[in-house]
Amino acid sequence: MILHPVDTILSLVLLSVLFSFGSSRLPGLIKVLAFQGIVVSMVPFFIGHDMNGGGIVFTFVTLLIRGIIIPMSIYIAIKKVAIKREVEPIIGYHASILCGLGLIVAATYISRQLNIVSISDYKLLFPTAIALLVAGMFLLMARRNAIAMVLGYIMMENGIYLVGTTISIRARHIVEFGILLDVLAGVMIMAIILQNIKRTFDDVDTANLRTLKE
Amino acid sequence: MSQFFMSILIIVFGGFLSLILARQFKLMKMVAVFSLSAGCFWGLFDAVTKLMQSGSDAASFKYLNVFSLAFQIDGLSAFFLVVIFAVCLVAVIYSFHYMDHSGEAVRTAVHYFFFSILIASMALVVTAANMITFMLSWEIMSLSSFFLVIYNYESSENRKAGYLYFVFSHVGAMFIFAAFGIVYGYTGSFGFGAMDSIPETAKIVVFIFSFIGFGSKAGVFPFHVWLPHAHPAAPSHISAVMSGVMIKIGIYGIVKMYTLLNFHTPLFGNIVLVAGVVSGILGVVYALGQHDLKRLLAYHSVENIGIILIGLGIGMIGVSSGNPLMAVLGFSGGFLHVLNHSIFKSVLFMGAGMVLHKTGTRTIDALGGLLKKMKITGATFIIGSLAICGLPPFNGFVSEFFIYIGGFKGIGLENSAFVMSIFAIISLAVIGGLALACFTKVVGVVFQGEPRTKAAVNVDEKGSTMLASMLILAGACIFIGIFPGAFIQMSIKAVSALGLGYGHVPLEPFGQMTANITFAAMVFLVSLLVVIAIRWFYYRGKTITKSGTWGCGFTQPTAKMQYTGSSYAASILEFFSPAAPLDEDHPKIKGRFPEKTYYKSHVNDIAELNMKGVIVNPVLFIFDKLRWIQHGDIHLYIGYILLAIVLLLFFI
Amino acid sequence: MIESIILWLLAILLAPFFSAIMFKVKAFFGGRKGSPLLINYYTLIKLFKKGSVYSTSTTAVFKLGPIISFTSAITVLMFLPIAGHHPIFSFNGDVIFILYLMGLGRFFTIAAAMDTASPFEGMGAAREAYFPIICEAAMFMILIFFYRLTGHLQLSAYFTGDNTIALWNLGGAPLLFIVISFFIILLTENSRVPVDDPATHLELTMIHEVMVLDHSGPDLGLIELGSFCKLFFYSTIVSRLILPFDFKISAMGYFVFVLGLIIVYVAIGLTESVIARYRMDKVPQFVLTSFALAFFATIITLEFI
Repeated sequence: MILHPVDTILSLVLLSVLFSFGSSRLPGLIKVLAFQGIVVSMVPFFIGHDMNGGGIVFTFVTLLIRGIIIPMSIYIAIKKVAIKREVEPIIGYHASILCGLGLIVAATYISRQLNIVSISDYKLLFPTAIALLVAGMFLLMARRNAIAMVLGYIMMENGIYLVGTTISIRARHIVEFGILLDVLAGVMIMAIILQNIKRTFDDVDTANLRTLKE
Repeated sequence: MSQFFMSILIIVFGGFLSLILARQFKLMKMVAVFSLSAGCFWGLFDAVTKLMQSGSDAASFKYLNVFSLAFQIDGLSAFFLVVIFAVCLVAVIYSFHYMDHSGEAVRTAVHYFFFSILIASMALVVTAANMITFMLSWEIMSLSSFFLVIYNYESSENRKAGYLYFVFSHVGAMFIFAAFGIVYGYTGSFGFGAMDSIPETAKIVVFIFSFIGFGSKAGVFPFHVWLPHAHPAAPSHISAVMSGVMIKIGIYGIVKMYTLLNFHTPLFGNIVLVAGVVSGILGVVYALGQHDLKRLLAYHSVENIGIILIGLGIGMIGVSSGNPLMAVLGFSGGFLHVLNHSIFKSVLFMGAGMVLHKTGTRTIDALGGLLKKMKITGATFIIGSLAICGLPPFNGFVSEFFIYIGGFKGIGLENSAFVMSIFAIISLAVIGGLALACFTKVVGVVFQGEPRTKAAVNVDEKGSTMLASMLILAGACIFIGIFPGAFIQMSIKAVSALGLGYGHVPLEPFGQMTANITFAAMVFLVSLLVVIAIRWFYYRGKTITKSGTWGCGFTQPTAKMQYTGSSYAASILEFFSPAAPLDEDHPKIKGRFPEKTYYKSHVNDIAELNMKGVIVNPVLFIFDKLRWIQHGDIHLYIGYILLAIVLLLFFI
Repeated sequence: MIESIILWLLAILLAPFFSAIMFKVKAFFGGRKGSPLLINYYTLIKLFKKGSVYSTSTTAVFKLGPIISFTSAITVLMFLPIAGHHPIFSFNGDVIFILYLMGLGRFFTIAAAMDTASPFEGMGAAREAYFPIICEAAMFMILIFFYRLTGHLQLSAYFTGDNTIALWNLGGAPLLFIVISFFIILLTENSRVPVDDPATHLELTMIHEVMVLDHSGPDLGLIELGSFCKLFFYSTIVSRLILPFDFKISAMGYFVFVLGLIIVYVAIGLTESVIARYRMDKVPQFVLTSFALAFFATIITLEFI
């Protein structure tokens, strides 16, 4: 019982939810999400059903995209483009953390009510998945900053992936669906960045014009 | 029972005598104080004996040939009688030097009269054995305390406070009437005994109604709105009695109803516990934001009522989940806190009274450095503060310790009992921390540092009876904190009178716990002595110099630069700002040499804030529509009377 | 019993030494050689040799401050199982007594600070009164967790003998959070970075250090020694949690315990070196994290048990 790997990993995932609620800056939030992505993608290794060669490669690729490529691209994007670093909370950080605790309790309760048989080996798996979904939704709701909202979306996506791993021990297509959503998120990120670049350059332009006038 | 009635008679007789002797100020005071305290002492002695023998005593009289006035003293009433008589005894002694305006002799006499009535009626409430007696004494208690609240009726603020109190106590009484009415509807008798035979849904309604009714007397959030207005308005020893004793009668009512209904659903425990948690935390948060010393203490009563309710709630949850140890721990912790709070709150109110008496102001930020001139007041006030924060080795710790242990017993349970226990423990911890912040603010700003205004400069602490009563109570705080054995036994006796179906409550585990508390306190005190010895050893023959406070490089510090109570509390209040919105008023500072400026802040009580919109305005709206009844024509009024009589005759 | 008393005395005597390790680590990261490992003893000896200067604003409470805060620190150590040995005293509920005793120490530290009429000390006092409120909630949350696992309410039931191993067996992964949560409490209660910077030069930004500005001589010595003891108390618990092993050979046990202590102090030093102090309004959030972690661990154990 001591330090069961899956449960430990899932505890870390839940922890990252709390930290993401508490972080006030985008870079911090991105780091938390990257950590969450890596950790979430590691879960299939330890669940260990049909981990054949293809499966391992598949999981590695997910890990790469989820944990490194997406966070990195967002990070670089906000570095290059002058986007506000504050996540602009609608619900304050203290309240968010307490809400997070409440969400986790609720997720635990809900998952117990659902009581899905196939995943009863890993008690924390389903609650974590639901907690991620709900927490992502909460971030979408409670943060004004667009990038923070995208990150909330990514968190939801992590949750979907976890649900996928719980149910899809044989059904791969749900995992593929996860990847699909990854791509979707990527597209969304790009769209927002483009829009931001446009707006920022506009801003820069007007500022320049004003300096020219003086 | 005759002993009890004799003591009541002496008290009331003293009150009447003071009215007769109103012209002789000194004599009147002496007679009143002597007879009131003699009555209280007798009553106290009698109550303690009854409690220790754990006997039960009853008496009844016919009244108007229709109703019977019945009285009964069991363990629970005896416990509350101890609290009532003990605190009133000390408060009466305190009043001797506090009421020293010989120009207001008549007013003082009237005050003693109502004071005696208040003591007597409180004692009668806790001994009442049927609904009629209970409500009769309850109303006398509310009315007599109303007249004490408007003692200084010249100030419009006090009149408003009295009015608010009047409204609240009568709306509360209305709820109690409603609860009793429901019971009467089912049983057809005014006796308390038949109450457990009514159906369960009715029991729930009765409990909730009586909880609101008694809660409004006890100052449970959100029915506490009158409390911070009324308590500061009364003279300080009356504030001590009201805050220390009278609001506990509300607690008595809640416990009594719980016992009488004899229905052990988890719902009651949860209601009481949640109400306790909310009053506890919000009470202390609002207290932290106050600028008026006595208002601050009044809000602390809300907090402590919260702690008591948490204890009772844990007890009720223990009963409903069949855990006798948790039940007894919760209830006895709650009862002990009733006693403890009455003691330390009285010390604090008396200390505040002394400060008010000598400086003439209750504003915290106008005071400072009083400890140097008022050594005994300051020391007893600090002891009271330590006790109210629940720190060892003072009495507040003992009762909180019991409640904690009871709460932890609930951690072993499942589902809602587990969640509620977590809730209770964490909120107790938070309340403790906030109380510490609040009382370091009071002690630090009022008694320490340098005087902030002229009012605090030339003070003394004359008035031997005032000092004596504060010393007695402070001594009690320490004594109960170190040797709680006898007092815990008393509260357990009160618990066993609840008839919880555990038969005789075993004293053994509690004996061990009290021994542990005594032992731990002793360990601390011995190490304290050792450390003092070490310090003395290192200071032998050393040079000790006096100098100004280090101003961190600033060489011209003034008393005005000290940290104020408002700034002390600001950051904590900000954390709780959703529950305690802060109104600030200060002009922007302009220019290089700004004008004299000011800063005003006020913490809003959300109950008070919402009361207007949710209750007052709709009620006003309805009454506005009924205004046509008041026509101004005398014939119409006679018509109303006729109509009323006809209707009454019709129904009877 | 004799052994426990010796351990208690050793704890008080060695607490300053361990704190010096922390300074050494900080010096190493700052590229300095750092003060010798016995620096705290030199300071204490120097302080105890001196006389005192008292402010004219102060009263007897000012003198009581150091006495009571020191007494509460050493009394707390009497209830602490050191290196898995039984403490000198122990009873059911001693944890609550300990926590409230520390509260008593804090009350008097604050009161002594307010006694000086200094605006800076008042500011420090206000902060000292604020942050521990959340800490206390977190501590009680941890207690709830431990109680849920063991059914006991005393330190010796958690940290003596093989009890700690049993705790890990019962708790598993959530205990990791408890360790982190406790470490955050340690940093907050002992005014370390990122909550408070004891080495800063500006009084306006201090918490604990500014409160003792006016103390001098043996009084200050008592305060310093008391705070070393307090840090030792928390570090012992963390050390026991991270290295919960129980050995038949007692020398081995002591070695592992001291190793754990060194790890904790180095970790504190590392934290101080790599993290900057938080803005004052960010601190409550940091402390709230520790509460969240403990709460969270309790929720997870609900799943396990």
